[in-house]
Amino acid sequence: MRVPVAVKVGAFSLVVMGTYTYYANSIPQIQSKPPAELSLEGGNVTPAQLVKAGEEIFKTKGTCEICHRIGQKGTRAPDLAGIGSRAAKTKPGLSAKQYIIESLLQPGAFVVEGYPNIMPQVDKPPIALNRSEVWALTAFLESLGGTVDVKLDDIPKTAGASAAGGGAPAELKLPGDPKAGEAIFSGKGGCIACHKAGKIGASPVGPDLSQIAKIQTPDYLMRKILDPAGAGTVSGFPKGVMPPMFGQTLTAKEYMDLVAFLMTLK
Amino acid sequence: MRRRAWTALAVVALLTLLPALPALAQDAAKEPAYRAFPLIGSRLAVWAVAQLHLNFAAFILGVPIFAVIIEIIGWRTGDARYDWLSHEFVKLTFAAFSTTALLGALLLFLFVAYYPKFWTYMTSIFFPTYWVYALLFFAETFTVYVWYYGWDWLSGPRKGIHVGLGVLSNLFGTAILLVANSWVTFMISPAGIDESGALKGSVWAAINNFTWMPINIHRLIANIVFGGTIAAAYAAFRFLGAKTDEERARYDWMGYIGNFVALSAFIVLPFAGYYLGREIYAFNQTMGITMMGGFMSWLWIIQAILIGVLFIGSNYYLWLGMERIPGSERYRRYVPIMIGILAFGFMVWATPRSMVITLDEARAMGGTHHPVLGFLGVMSAKNTAVNMMILTTFLSFVLYRRANRISTKSWVATGMMIQWAALGLAAAVVVFYGVYGYFVESLVRIGFSVYQVLAVLAAIVVVMAIDIPMFRGARSTGTIRWGTIAPRSQYVLILLAVTFTWLMGLMGFARSGIRQHWHVYGVMRDNSVDAVTPAIGYAANMITTVTIAFFALVMFIFWLGGLGEKGRAGESGHAPTPVFAGGSDAGSTDESRGGRSPRRS
Repeated sequence: MRVPVAVKVGAFSLVVMGTYTYYANSIPQIQSKPPAELSLEGGNVTPAQLVKAGEEIFKTKGTCEICHRIGQKGTRAPDLAGIGSRAAKTKPGLSAKQYIIESLLQPGAFVVEGYPNIMPQVDKPPIALNRSEVWALTAFLESLGGTVDVKLDDIPKTAGASAAGGGAPAELKLPGDPKAGEAIFSGKGGCIACHKAGKIGASPVGPDLSQIAKIQTPDYLMRKILDPAGAGTVSGFPKGVMPPMFGQTLTAKEYMDLVAFLMTLK
Repeated sequence: MRRRAWTALAVVALLTLLPALPALAQDAAKEPAYRAFPLIGSRLAVWAVAQLHLNFAAFILGVPIFAVIIEIIGWRTGDARYDWLSHEFVKLTFAAFSTTALLGALLLFLFVAYYPKFWTYMTSIFFPTYWVYALLFFAETFTVYVWYYGWDWLSGPRKGIHVGLGVLSNLFGTAILLVANSWVTFMISPAGIDESGALKGSVWAAINNFTWMPINIHRLIANIVFGGTIAAAYAAFRFLGAKTDEERARYDWMGYIGNFVALSAFIVLPFAGYYLGREIYAFNQTMGITMMGGFMSWLWIIQAILIGVLFIGSNYYLWLGMERIPGSERYRRYVPIMIGILAFGFMVWATPRSMVITLDEARAMGGTHHPVLGFLGVMSAKNTAVNMMILTTFLSFVLYRRANRISTKSWVATGMMIQWAALGLAAAVVVFYGVYGYFVESLVRIGFSVYQVLAVLAAIVVVMAIDIPMFRGARSTGTIRWGTIAPRSQYVLILLAVTFTWLMGLMGFARSGIRQHWHVYGVMRDNSVDAVTPAIGYAANMITTVTIAFFALVMFIFWLGGLGEKGRAGESGHAPTPVFAGGSDAGSTDESRGGRSPRRS
């Protein structure tokens, strides 16, 4: 039987594309997730917790490891081993803490000899660390051979002011009552059955909403409550689980209270 | 007629929609930031339509560039085969024109409907350019129609006007590309705005951002490569299904020209890529480092494999093509050496810097970098490999070009010696800076790639500057036997088209993915449910799906175009097929070429 040319060419093309696809699926799979925001302001944090949080920022959101190494000389940026003690002697007139903070917020102010002036300001987009995160990162760097003595007040209040980027939604005053909304969350709404919200709830069925106001807009939340399927499902969670009847079961006031509560979760 | 109606409908829809955008944008301000596209989600919908649109757009912008050059060759030499070939190429473009416009309109609808706040923001910056885009689109449509349908009407003494229309349509097409590129490059490297993201002064500052010109150049060259590979694949398909020797000869020649165009542009594409990469680093070091050394680092290994396939495939096609050229036997001895260089270059380029290994293996090896192979995973080795592959491919082309020709010039020995010296010197410069790069800081090393590139380009210029006069009026060892090439060569052409299309999808993912969780980098954050930038496997599945859809659509459109031609055989508007009986020699000497086909009346 003579195989038509179109079939042969089609099969050949599919084999070629299939090979590329198979290979692409065989190598390490790395996603780039939007960084979660850390908020420590007003909280009681021990130095050890602060250093741990700072280490995570160093390795993730801060993207420091792209250029810096600890205990290994880099070609783009200095080795940070011992920076906690070395920093006090690097720039005359600045303590270790002051030097580290200046390096993070104004990296061009003093550049270590032999390295290019390429470090971005960490509190500005695209890295965009907030004030708490700069605090934790400073603590972590101090811990590398030095004493952790940085306080939140040492970090300028202007740090991270434009962290979300110029296109971020403006602050909104919502008409609902957050306290009443919290009660809806735990009671009538039944949200607590699937979601965690700060200290409330612990169920892993749905996404953790503890910092939802940091990453979502009020209009998204309002739509998600009324039309869960239409607003999309967060990747990694099963579709169609969230009930679609809140528009019928909640009153208008309860609905607004719930949204106001969710918008306090930062 | 139906095709014209579809195109007209698409143009009217686009022109009607564009003036309404400010009103839509105002409405969008009151609306949610995002809506969810049914079933597959908004991101996949935009991804699929954008990739399809860009595939078609690249084809219809790339093919006319070389079609008009081929038409000029036919016009100046009086060889009707080139005129026929140019018409065939434009015919392919023409069939895809309306599909491109419809996909563009669909993409616009998706942005307005599913990303209203993002589109509002983009409109606040780029609204003046929308009108320019619409007017250019209209001008290009009009010019291409007159160019295609006026082929016979503007022949003979009016051929110059016809060629002018072809040039004009290319100028309009390129201008459209520049406008659209300003939007997409602003998303990568925004400029001309204040801290709040608002336009500070003229829109020109936003247009002329860091990556705009590099992407203009890179896309323009890539479009020519893409157009060449698709046209060659079309010819291959027709070759494989040909019923007569004459038909086979004709499409063998068409495939050769398509591949020649693709290869010529492909050789300089890596240089445009370097320029783009350098500008990304200049705009933002973090972005550049994330792209090359961050979560996207493995993407470049796949890119290396695809480019390796393109290099090896192109060379293999040339070597197979030499089999149908009498006199080429004397160059066969070079083939094993060239295979060796290409294979070694391919392996170097595809060597990752860090290995995927277990902890025990890493301990045994002393880290994630292999003690020997790790040295091949860095840019010094890769730049050296790709430059050597470019030189080798160029050598293949030179040997193909002179396969059935023997120079009769008295200075041939000196000329050959200078040519070999130029190639040898370029190879030495490339290897020297490749090795020296291991002993200097990265900032110095980056500058070495410029010397390597310049050495290769200089060698190409010198060799061709000598080759053209040296083989003018050369003695022929026989005519090219068009149509007698091995059928497997046609599968190589299809392999090249599929690979390059897939590569375009991959590079589109890279360009978009380096923004990570930003719609506009550092300015407008992606707060949607799709803010995660997916891993390479997920992207590959998507690229393959869309590429299959693209080829299915292309086959369908070409089939439709073929139906139309069958119905009008013998009528005006279609170039009569020139005679290829026995195979003639398009690339050979003047005296062996002979038997020119009569010009169309």
